[in-house]
Amino acid sequence: MNPVQFAQTLINGLMLGGTFALVGLGFSIVWGIMNLINIAHGEFIMLGAYTTYFLYTFFGIDPFLTIPLSMAALFALGYLIERGVLTWVIRAPLLVKFLITFGLSILLENLALQVFSGDYRSVTTAYSGIGLEIGGVKIASVRLAALLISILLVYLFHLFLTRTRIGNAIRATGMDLDAARLTGVKIAPTFALTYGLSAALAGAAGSLISMTFPITPSIGSGYTIYAFLICVLGGLGSVPGALVGGIVLALLQVFAGFFAPGFKDAIGFTVLVLVLIVRPEGLIGKPFYSGSEQ
Amino acid sequence: MTRPSAGDATRGEKIVYFIAIAGLLGAIAFPFTAPSGFWLRTFTFVFMAAILAQGWNFIGGYTGYASFGNVAFFGLGAYVTGILMTKAHFDFLPSMAAGGIFCAIFAGLIGLPLLRLKGHYFAVATLGVAVAVREIVSGWDSLTGGGIGLNLPINPDPNSFRQIYFFMLAALTLSILVTYLLARSKIGYAWIAIRENEYAARAVGINTTLYKTLAFALTGLFIGLAGGIYAYYNTTIAPDSLFDITAYTANPILIVIIGGGGTVLGPVIGAFVFQILSTYLSFQFPGLQFTFLGLAMILVIIFMPQGALEYLTGRRVFGLAALLQAPRENRA
Repeated sequence: MNPVQFAQTLINGLMLGGTFALVGLGFSIVWGIMNLINIAHGEFIMLGAYTTYFLYTFFGIDPFLTIPLSMAALFALGYLIERGVLTWVIRAPLLVKFLITFGLSILLENLALQVFSGDYRSVTTAYSGIGLEIGGVKIASVRLAALLISILLVYLFHLFLTRTRIGNAIRATGMDLDAARLTGVKIAPTFALTYGLSAALAGAAGSLISMTFPITPSIGSGYTIYAFLICVLGGLGSVPGALVGGIVLALLQVFAGFFAPGFKDAIGFTVLVLVLIVRPEGLIGKPFYSGSEQ
Repeated sequence: MTRPSAGDATRGEKIVYFIAIAGLLGAIAFPFTAPSGFWLRTFTFVFMAAILAQGWNFIGGYTGYASFGNVAFFGLGAYVTGILMTKAHFDFLPSMAAGGIFCAIFAGLIGLPLLRLKGHYFAVATLGVAVAVREIVSGWDSLTGGGIGLNLPINPDPNSFRQIYFFMLAALTLSILVTYLLARSKIGYAWIAIRENEYAARAVGINTTLYKTLAFALTGLFIGLAGGIYAYYNTTIAPDSLFDITAYTANPILIVIIGGGGTVLGPVIGAFVFQILSTYLSFQFPGLQFTFLGLAMILVIIFMPQGALEYLTGRRVFGLAALLQAPRENRA
């Protein structure tokens, strides 16, 4: 690996890391606040990607401008799923909650397969091939923009959680459900809002993914697993943690892809298992709502 | 899953065991009634689903550790069998036994560090192991044939489906027998103690690491055996179909939920209900069976999180009130 290759791989990793941060953030928030592992998270990403694909293909809307629309659509979907389904199991044992999102994931993936068909699709714009080149290192403009948008969204979400009343209510619910209720937080709408926001972030991630990778209805489960990795690497329920976790995972993947293509997920998961064993709270995380036990 | 296991068999239990033995004799006699190949295969897959569920029952049902990595044992059992038969030209039975033992040892080895994790973290870590194993298997071209996989020697027996049926039935019977014997031994009580309160279990002197690892090794053993038999049945093994997380991790867990975890026969009953229903759905609504499966999973879990068997036998209220009891208790 010569210096230019190294710099190129590093840049690729950083740019991918932004999208990964967005992939992990929504998952991490739902896990941290609702103590729920949302296996259907990847399917929300897939639906976000299809929203962008259809808006671009049929209405000619610029993919970047579809991001707010895909976030709004996924927010509505997530909110309704929480109100209609998840709210009925929120106090059930861990495995029950785990399995119900597994069911949701299977349902959404197969409905998408019926409606969208299994064909590979991609969003290719007039500016998809454009990029900068600095000293032999190529930077694709779409990926750079995706990185900036991801960082912006992660930052805005951080501000929302820490600076607004609703954000504080969400965090308080995650810390102690009963205490939050005593101070006047309405739990059911707060959880629905949390889940909706998580789905909206997944939608944004999906929109960005559709611009750089081909999409099919079955991409979801892979991203759910990445979301796990990011969350565990960065620490549970932490916004900066998702950013760190996303970048660490992306770097691991691109460098593993360079040295041992075909084993990049095996390396990612070996690191995951090692981190879990040595430092279950994540690389920079602190025990937030350490509700891993029920 | 908070049911203590009984000591001596009550009268009700004696009836259940009588039915179980009658069921076993019926299952042995069934292939000689010249059934159609369809029913023979359907029941072979019912037995396989029951073995996978019974395997998960050791670690998930009795010990309370929700493993999501069991698909790894299934795939490894199939691959060890396949590799021994194609590369070392072993016969099927020793290859299958080696596959099961390999998976038991593998489960024990990964169990030692992973079983220190709890709850979600254990689930995620085991899922991670499953994905990593799949990647390694599909990447190790020289041994496993990579993404294309391996072709096993064709079963020379003219009644090969019947033979596979009996292999599955034998493995299932063995798994039920082991569950039955261990559930009422010191080991079974140790598992249940760990599930109910691990700290208390350790405080009363139970070597929790030993018993947890033993449960996980048994999980690996039986699922590995099922994988080996499946490989011989299917003759072609490839990473994508063998490491199918929905089919070999999620469905067995759902089966245990339907039948009732931490019971000897619950997983078997769940497997019958689930497998017959899903075979029917895939014929009646081809292409839509997974949509129904997802929907069924959500509804069963909302309304009967303790398992359908417990719902039918253990309820104190009836009618609509019984149906709404669980969602009422569990809502936010």
